[in-house]
Amino acid sequence: MSALDELRQLRHGSVQVRKRDNKAAFWFLAPWFAGLVFITVGPVLASFGLGFTKYNLIQPPKFIGFDNFVRIFSDERLHNALRVTFTYVLVSVPLQLACALGVALLLDRGMRGLAFYRSAFYLPSLLGSSVAIAVLWTQVFGAEGLLNRVLGFFGVEGKGWISDPDTALSTLIVLNVWTFGSPMIIFLAGLRQIPAVYYEAASIDGASRWSQFWRITLPLLSPILFFNLVLQIIHAFQSFTQAFVVSGGTGGPSDSTMFYTLYLYQQGFSRFDMGYASALAWFLLLIIAAFTAINFWAAKFWVFYDD
Amino acid sequence: MFRGVGRRTALTVLVSLTASLLAACGSGSDAGGDLTAEPVTLRFSWWGADDRHKRTQQVIEMFQKKHPNITIKGEFKEWNGYWDSLATTMAANDAPDIMQMDELYIASYAERGALLDLNESKKHLDTSNFDQKALATGAVDGKQYGLPVGLGMYSIMVNTDLLAKYNIPVPDDTKWSWDDLKKIGEQVSKAGGGQVFGVQSPGINDAAGLSIRARQQGKAMFDAEGKVVLPQEIARDYWQYILDLAKSGIAPSPSVTIEKASAGLNQSATATNTAAFGLWWNTQLTALTAASGAKLKLLRLPGETQGKAHGAYYKPSMFWSVSARSKHPAEAAAFVSFLANDEEAAKILLTERGVPANMKIREAIAGQLKETDKAAKEYLDTVPVSDPPRITPNGASTLDTILKRHTEDVLFGRTTPDAAAASFIKEVQAEVDAAK
Repeated sequence: MSALDELRQLRHGSVQVRKRDNKAAFWFLAPWFAGLVFITVGPVLASFGLGFTKYNLIQPPKFIGFDNFVRIFSDERLHNALRVTFTYVLVSVPLQLACALGVALLLDRGMRGLAFYRSAFYLPSLLGSSVAIAVLWTQVFGAEGLLNRVLGFFGVEGKGWISDPDTALSTLIVLNVWTFGSPMIIFLAGLRQIPAVYYEAASIDGASRWSQFWRITLPLLSPILFFNLVLQIIHAFQSFTQAFVVSGGTGGPSDSTMFYTLYLYQQGFSRFDMGYASALAWFLLLIIAAFTAINFWAAKFWVFYDD
Repeated sequence: MFRGVGRRTALTVLVSLTASLLAACGSGSDAGGDLTAEPVTLRFSWWGADDRHKRTQQVIEMFQKKHPNITIKGEFKEWNGYWDSLATTMAANDAPDIMQMDELYIASYAERGALLDLNESKKHLDTSNFDQKALATGAVDGKQYGLPVGLGMYSIMVNTDLLAKYNIPVPDDTKWSWDDLKKIGEQVSKAGGGQVFGVQSPGINDAAGLSIRARQQGKAMFDAEGKVVLPQEIARDYWQYILDLAKSGIAPSPSVTIEKASAGLNQSATATNTAAFGLWWNTQLTALTAASGAKLKLLRLPGETQGKAHGAYYKPSMFWSVSARSKHPAEAAAFVSFLANDEEAAKILLTERGVPANMKIREAIAGQLKETDKAAKEYLDTVPVSDPPRITPNGASTLDTILKRHTEDVLFGRTTPDAAAASFIKEVQAEVDAAK
């Protein structure tokens, strides 16, 4: 069963689960489930409690009511972190998906060495959030980096792109766009699901490639696009490593790469204010939940399910 | 009925298990007791570069030979990672037994109860060869939370090869001012033609430069209670100076300055021979000379004779601290004593962690020092200083990052020196208050 079929069935609640499968699945899932309960759920619940305390990591937490949550509204550096994070999410995700779709369309036309290209384009998304790539980025966008050498070739004088607050965030956006591989693979799978007869019928009727894309491909691909959008937005909100490595953990210069998660981390582990950090974590959960809810609501107007 | 019994049995088993676990935890020595003959493993962590790791590992092996039942597991990281990992391991109750501690963090950890008062292990830890003033730098509220390892002093490092190349004489540092530094920096920048600059901008990585400016005016960053008492004009003038350096091309452009400062010592303008003057710790002379391959000389700080007091002071480069939760505090103290007092160990460590604070050791290694180490020691022995500032109070361990952010804001024109000064003072005070 393809992913697309499954999506359709899920939507109509027509997935019939067989009991025996269920049991086997349980055993296969058990190790993961144990990990989830003990390593994830426990600390997550604990962090909810810590959100109402003053806790410096060493002495026992002190209950302070809603103080940490109230502080969220007056913390100017946090508001800046929110601005940075929103900019990052709202700019990089659409660009990334556009790239992913564009490349998927090219690859879908079938060419020699398709498997190679597919892997080559996918590779960055495996590495994208790794420390190694973030280090590479500092080499590319540094004052004596690759970009400036290329620019120098054309007589343009560069600068330290990462160490200038006007351009530092843009380099991270480029990094995120560059890792378009995983949505691209999903788009490719989706494109394969669109029956060729639609295109044949359209071209007999004289439809141009352009209108075929708008009237056939995009509507039929919209569930996949929606899926990618939801996932990548959540993913982008949680970005941490890139900013941490590129800025040496400071979120600088001038807080210009201060992602929400990085700010949260600094509150917990540099300022030893784990209570506030916990409150921030829950606030981030609210933000992501709100974004996802809006996404699902808006989906009614543009996602088309071909029944 | 049966179920009740079953439950009680289970409870008994649980209680006895817990008790035995607790007993196992409690089997360590206490800080003032005798050294155990049982096998003991201690974890020891430090930050630093390769050279330090090699030397330290050698000293660990020497100690293990003398105490075959004690195993020391060394853990090392670079500066930023070190503090991240210390914060998390402390929280997880898994802190190393012995750790290298910095002035910036010692109060934050001590006042949260994470460090052992070394006076409790006097029996194993000999501090008799330390100057009282030096010892006091590691004390908070009369308790010795850290033993100073080495001393360092802020200095101006000048690349004499560059000056010779441009035919600019080395300035007389006995009475030069901050303006003199600017002037000679301008000459270098002019001669350097955009490739070599006069001054590597201070104020990026630590707050010592600002502290020195305040001290030269007879002021300080913090008072004895830990309140921020830095006058706003001093901070404003400090940032104005840095801004002038950048605007007039005496220092490289802001983005290059920030990038080099974050990239570490080996990529600094001094190490890459792209700036003639830089503000550095005197003990970094050896490392920077090796990195640059040029001839570097230590100069006194500018402005030392124009102001009210000497800005220069002996800064403990770092401390040895023992975790308050160490299960073997006596053995840990014995190891610290070995690091601080053993002459053979000192002959390996030399001045890599600063000129030894232990006076006897300082003399013992004098004959073995390289030329650059000798110069660093001589600087420390001859340059006049005044009393050291109060250690960074609890909560202000983010001082350097706050300063760096404000410097960036000023350099990139996002704020004025005056506004930065006001904001900096307010923010540091808020950090100190928040930790109370």
